[in-house]
Amino acid sequence: MPIISAELVRSGGMPSAAELEASLLAGHTLLSNTAEHLIEVVDVLDSYGQVLDAYSKNLIFQAEQQFLLPFPLFKYLDGDKTVAKIWRHLNHDRINFEYAEYCMKAMLWHGTGGLDAYLDSEPFAANCRAIIGRKTRRDPLLALLHPVFRGFLIELIRTAATTSALGQFWRVMSDLFLDLAAAEAAGRISSIEAVVEFIKDGLVAAAGNPITYAVEIEGERMWVLPPEARLTFLADVAVPYVEAVFLRGLPFLGTVSFNAQAQQISPDQGQFAYGALYADPLPSMGAGIPPSLLMQDMYRHLPERLHQLYRQRGRGEGDVRVKICMSFQKSMFCVTNAAIRGTFPSPLGSGDPAEQAANRAYAAAWASRLAVARTDCLD
Amino acid sequence: MLSLLLLIPFAGALLLAFWPGRPAEGRMRTVTLVVLGLQLAWSLVVLARFDPANSAMQLQESLPWVESLGLEYKLGVDGLSLPLVLINAALTLVSAICTRDIDKRPRVYFLLLLVISGSVNGAFLAENLLLFFLFYELELIPLWGLIAIWGGVNRAYAATKFLIFTAVSGMLILGAFLGLALLTGTADFSLTPITGERLAMGSQLLLLGALLIGFGIKVPLFPFHNWLPDAHTQASTPVSVLLAGVLLKLGTYGLLRFCMGLFPEAWALLAAGLAIWAAVSVLFGSLAAIAQTDMKRMVAYSSVGHMGYILLAAAAATPIAILGAVFQMVSHGLISALLFLLVGIVYRKTGTRDLTVLHGLLNPERGLPFTGTLMIVGVMASAGMPGMAGFISEFMVFRGSIGAFPFATLLSMVASGLTAVYFLLLVNRAFFGRLAVTPPIDPVAHGRLDVNLAAVAPRETIPAMALAVAVFAIGLLPYGLGRLSEAASTAMVQLPALAAAVYSGGLG
Repeated sequence: MPIISAELVRSGGMPSAAELEASLLAGHTLLSNTAEHLIEVVDVLDSYGQVLDAYSKNLIFQAEQQFLLPFPLFKYLDGDKTVAKIWRHLNHDRINFEYAEYCMKAMLWHGTGGLDAYLDSEPFAANCRAIIGRKTRRDPLLALLHPVFRGFLIELIRTAATTSALGQFWRVMSDLFLDLAAAEAAGRISSIEAVVEFIKDGLVAAAGNPITYAVEIEGERMWVLPPEARLTFLADVAVPYVEAVFLRGLPFLGTVSFNAQAQQISPDQGQFAYGALYADPLPSMGAGIPPSLLMQDMYRHLPERLHQLYRQRGRGEGDVRVKICMSFQKSMFCVTNAAIRGTFPSPLGSGDPAEQAANRAYAAAWASRLAVARTDCLD
Repeated sequence: MLSLLLLIPFAGALLLAFWPGRPAEGRMRTVTLVVLGLQLAWSLVVLARFDPANSAMQLQESLPWVESLGLEYKLGVDGLSLPLVLINAALTLVSAICTRDIDKRPRVYFLLLLVISGSVNGAFLAENLLLFFLFYELELIPLWGLIAIWGGVNRAYAATKFLIFTAVSGMLILGAFLGLALLTGTADFSLTPITGERLAMGSQLLLLGALLIGFGIKVPLFPFHNWLPDAHTQASTPVSVLLAGVLLKLGTYGLLRFCMGLFPEAWALLAAGLAIWAAVSVLFGSLAAIAQTDMKRMVAYSSVGHMGYILLAAAAATPIAILGAVFQMVSHGLISALLFLLVGIVYRKTGTRDLTVLHGLLNPERGLPFTGTLMIVGVMASAGMPGMAGFISEFMVFRGSIGAFPFATLLSMVASGLTAVYFLLLVNRAFFGRLAVTPPIDPVAHGRLDVNLAAVAPRETIPAMALAVAVFAIGLLPYGLGRLSEAASTAMVQLPALAAAVYSGGLG
């Protein structure tokens, strides 16, 4: 057996589920508090915030302006159909909006939480009937399609609703991450603990924000997700998003293929572990969310301080996307950490044994899922 | 004119030997590169002066030396030796270019490199048996030195093994040459074919047998191949390039020039057996390559297999087969040099060549993607993919041999298919999948490894790229090389046919 130099391979720590549970209950951060981690997390979230801003605007544009368009050829142009914009798009001098759509599809397919429940409800079906009735009056193609494929337009409306909800969610997250970067630049954030707290406060503050969505058809404003549905930011969109994109993901689009018949993919969708927290930063990609598209987008907006750090590490510019992905996973562990803190059933300092037990069960459930994620980046 | 092909490298070696003071490695390397550049340029001048339509020796130079011994300084070039002279110049230059960071005695290293190149030119150009033998032996000690001094941890073992095998090879060849003089009663060491009128068939077979084993060791052919995998494994990359690309060709050149050329009648008699020997060697090389887990040993065993095609072609002795043998010598020189260069890059970056450890090296950001791409080109060429040099040579060898020896040719074709098997195993294990340089004992930990291989600088792949371009060039435009060697290979074919006819009384 050859002796491999320790400089060539590095194996990060793999904390056990028990260690992770203890860490969560003790109020410690999952990511260790180092100066380099702080730069990585804050700057990569700064970049991510700018990318999310673009994703959010485009998703909302698609949901509102490209609604039930059978051939949405210009859906990534945000309404700007100038030759220069089209040329930049074709020349791939653009944001990879496909990644945003991919996340939306993951949410739609996994279908957890209040949004999904509403999309299968009778009030939603009634809204759809009204919208389709109005839309097919002037659109012969849709009028032909709808009677033949009864579920097709409804599914498209569900897709549009999820697109809008994700756009609204990312609007909040984009502002939160850009504010975080500004707070760190102003000296108000100087530790990983402060980062987690900042994100937790932001999530808690936005928790009750209503998620609504309406489209205008022939001059009439029609609700898809009306205020009466009482869909809110945290419970109905943020938590399903974390479940679908961070944790479950999809076992497709990677370069590693799976054989479902050989049970390489769990028949239980809830057991999927192909999300961003499990993704392999090396671009052979285990499967699931293809991080390379997002890394490419973040690379366009990388703050100089982090870029400089990357130039001094590994292959410098040559493997910058891998390093962005590693930093991104660290930052996503911070966001997950903040979400867990913000959603504990009871305060962590509670002396009530029943509340303590509930907290322990909650932490244990999270820890068991995180224990097999890419926790090697945490130390 | 041809003497300059000897003079340039030998003068370069003397220049290095007497360079005043303790020159830095960089300066020694630059001087060597200039000398080898001159050698290549002069080889191209020889190519320009060469008349491809003429099958005889050309640009001959002759000088009496030790006439009483039959030793004459007589050089000449024909369509068989010229491609090998060119490939010697090109691959020695490649070896010098890819030589980096010589940790000890750079002066001696580059000096030995130049001596080898000059000696190999001498052997290919010699028109006198003893002169050939002198040059054949002259390259032996420098190569032993290159392995013994700059080789891997088991270099002493590999170098000694190489020395013993090739010394025996040299003794057999010298014995055959001297036996020829003794049995014919003349000290004529020219390249004149020996016919039944000059020497009885029994004696011819004896001498041919000695030559076959002697050159069979050098080629190497099964079962005399044992020294090659060890020598390659312990040799540094530039030496492996030289060994596989040039020095093995001394053996195949010897088979064609001396075994077949000197003893056409005996050769025709043994041809069927030689074809079977070739097929066994080809099959053995391929099957042994499949079993290897060291990338370099795998490429080394593939050499054993691919050299067997040349014996098959020589046994068939049809114009197409002999032309295919020349093509195979050139294409194997280029392809094996390319593969050894790439294995060398992998070893330099990862510290291992173990196929149970290397995975996913095609990884675009952290792996060696361009090296992997060239490796795929190299293994495709070696497996005989159309459009590359390997296809042209193998196709011609098979096309030329199948009429004469269908069974041996079919077995060799099966072995050609096995080339794809072992090289796909190599590519699949080392270059596909998740990047890692550790054994995959625990899949979870394996999938989490952060691998930091140093990037391959573009200049490191320039020699390999040049070889890959040459592989495509010969594959797509084989006409140039074909035209160069066609007349000579056709003339060679007439010798055994004529001799066979005489032997069977056909012309009687």
